Amino acid sequence: MSVVRINVGPIHPSTHGVLRLVVDVDGDTVKLVEPHIGFLHRGVEKLCETRMYMQSPSYMEKLDYIAPLAWDELYVAAVEQAMGTPVKDGAQYARVILLEFQRIASHLLWIGTLANDLGQLITAFMWAFRDRAKVIKLLEDVSGSRMFYVNMRLGGLYQPLPDDFKERSYGLIDYLDRTMPEYLDVLDKNEVFIDRTKNVGALSRDDAINYGVSGPVLRASGVREDVRRSQPYYIYDKLKFDIPVMRNGDCFDRYRVRYEEILQSTKIIRQALAMMPDNADVVGAPIKLIGPAAKPDPVVMRREIPRGEGLIYMIPDKQRPYRISLRSPTFINLAVLPKLCEGVKFADIFAIMGSLDLVLAEIDR
Amino acid sequence: MSDESVMASDLQRKVPNAPYTVEQFMNAEKEMTKLLTESASEEQESKMPVNAVFAKLSEISKSMPLAKDMIQWSRSNSLWPMQFGLACCAIELMDFAACRIDAERKGYLLLRGTPRQCDVMIVAGWVTKSMVPRIKRLYEQMASPKYVVAFGECATSGGPWWESYNIMQGIDQVLPVDVYACGCPPKPENLFAALMKLQDKIGGRVAGNNERSISENMQRHEGERV
Repeated sequence: MSVVRINVGPIHPSTHGVLRLVVDVDGDTVKLVEPHIGFLHRGVEKLCETRMYMQSPSYMEKLDYIAPLAWDELYVAAVEQAMGTPVKDGAQYARVILLEFQRIASHLLWIGTLANDLGQLITAFMWAFRDRAKVIKLLEDVSGSRMFYVNMRLGGLYQPLPDDFKERSYGLIDYLDRTMPEYLDVLDKNEVFIDRTKNVGALSRDDAINYGVSGPVLRASGVREDVRRSQPYYIYDKLKFDIPVMRNGDCFDRYRVRYEEILQSTKIIRQALAMMPDNADVVGAPIKLIGPAAKPDPVVMRREIPRGEGLIYMIPDKQRPYRISLRSPTFINLAVLPKLCEGVKFADIFAIMGSLDLVLAEIDR
Repeated sequence: MSDESVMASDLQRKVPNAPYTVEQFMNAEKEMTKLLTESASEEQESKMPVNAVFAKLSEISKSMPLAKDMIQWSRSNSLWPMQFGLACCAIELMDFAACRIDAERKGYLLLRGTPRQCDVMIVAGWVTKSMVPRIKRLYEQMASPKYVVAFGECATSGGPWWESYNIMQGIDQVLPVDVYACGCPPKPENLFAALMKLQDKIGGRVAGNNERSISENMQRHEGERV
C-alpha cells in the first residue's frame, strides 16, 4: 500500500477546538502525525502588557475555558507576589475549596467528552454534564458568573461567600461521592471503552519525563509529581490526600488518574470545609487601576492546574507588567501526540488526543 | 462478478481526466443550483434528480401562499445546527445539547458533524484571521436556505480581543448573521432564545429577508437587523 496524506481539521468534531493534523496513513496504520496550531492565536501576552494588573484576569481565564478559575488564581497569585500582598486566612481556605471544585468540573467535562468521542457513549456524557452542572451552579452562586468567574482579588475573593456555602458544599460532595461510582458501570465495565483505551497510546516513564509533560498525563506514566505536594501553596500542606499514580501510561490509565483525582478533590474539600472558620473574612482589595507600585523583581509562580503544571514568569513594572510569559501545560502535552500516534490505527488518534485533554486556546494563546 | 467489474470499468471511463479548477470548486453551490434549474426545466421527468423537488418547491411557494406557510413551518421546526466550536462558547454549546437544556425537544436535532446536513451555523468563539477562509468555506458547503447565529461577544464584535492584531472584529464582516446572542459566554438558555427567535424569523413572524446572499448582507443598513 502506498502512503496517503490526510488532512484532519482544523474544524473537526473530535479535535476539541481548532487543531489541524496532517496524518500519513498506510492503509489504516498511522505513519506520521503532524499537528499544526495557531488558529486561535490572539496575542494574550502582548495584550496583558497593555493593561493594568487587575484588568488582565479576564484574559487569563479565557486561556483555559474548561477550568477558568485555575488560571485566574495563578495570575492573581503572581501579582500578589509582585505587590507583596498577603492572602487572608479565610480566603486561603475558600480559594482551595473553589479550585478543587473547578478541578472536579474540569475532569467531569473531560470524562464526558472522551466518552462521546469513543463511539458515542452518550450515557456517560449526559451523566458527566448532569454532575458538572451542579458544580458550576455552586461556583456561579459564589462568584456571580456562570463560566468566567473573575472571582479573585488581591488578598482574597471578590465578594463574601454565600451564607449557606458550607451546607451546599457538603451536600454537593456527598452527592458526588454517591454518583461517581456510577461511572464505573458505564465506562470501566464497558467493552467498547476498554477496547479503545487499554494499551492504546502508551507513554513510558522515561519518555514522559523527557518530553516534559505534566499533570495527569505524567502521573499516568508512573511519576509521582504534583505541585500541590512538591511545593505546597495555601493550606495544602495541612491536608491529607493521595496523589493517584498509574503504571502503564495508556489512555485507560489517564482516565483512571483523572477519575481518582475527582475523589481526592472531594476529600480535600471535605477537610478544608471542616478546618475553615465560620464567617471567615474572604473579601480582597477592590480593583484600583492605579494602585501601589509593584516590586521590580521577576516573579515565577507555579500551580497545579487541572491540565498540568501552569507557570507564569512576570517581569513587573510599576502599574502594569513589563513582560509576561506563560507555560501552558497542554502546549507541552501536545508535543507527545506524534510520538504516541506512531503505528496506531487511524481511529485511535482521537482516543489519544482526547486522553491528553487539550485546550486549544491555551496552546495558541 | 463479471457484471460488476464491467460496470466499474464503465464508471471509470466516465470520470473526466482533467481535475476540477479552483473556480469550479469554489462555485459549487452556483453550479448546483444551475444544474437543478436546468434539470427542472427539462421535460423528461424520469432523468430529474431527486433534489430538483426542492427547486420546484421554492417555485410553488412563490405562487401559492398556503404552500409557502407550509414550507416555512417545516423549515422553522427542523433546524439542524452544525457541531462547530471555536473557543469558550463551544463549552456552552455542549451544555446546550446535554441533559439540562435538552435542545432536541424544540427540533434542533443533535449537532451534526458535516455542513452538508445543516441549516444553522452557530459561530461560537473568536474568529482569527486564519480561520476566516475556512469558515467561509464551511458556509458555502451548507445547503440553502442557511442561517448564521453569532454566539457570544467575540463572534458579534470581537469582544475582549477587540484590540488584538489577529482577530476578526465580528463575524458579520464576512457572513450574513441572522441572530446575535450576547454574553461572554451566553448562557445555554440564551442560545435557546436565539434559536427560537430564528424560528420566528424563518416562520415569517419577524420582519426581515429570509434568504440573503453575502453581497446583499454587506449592503444592508443598520435598521434591517433583527
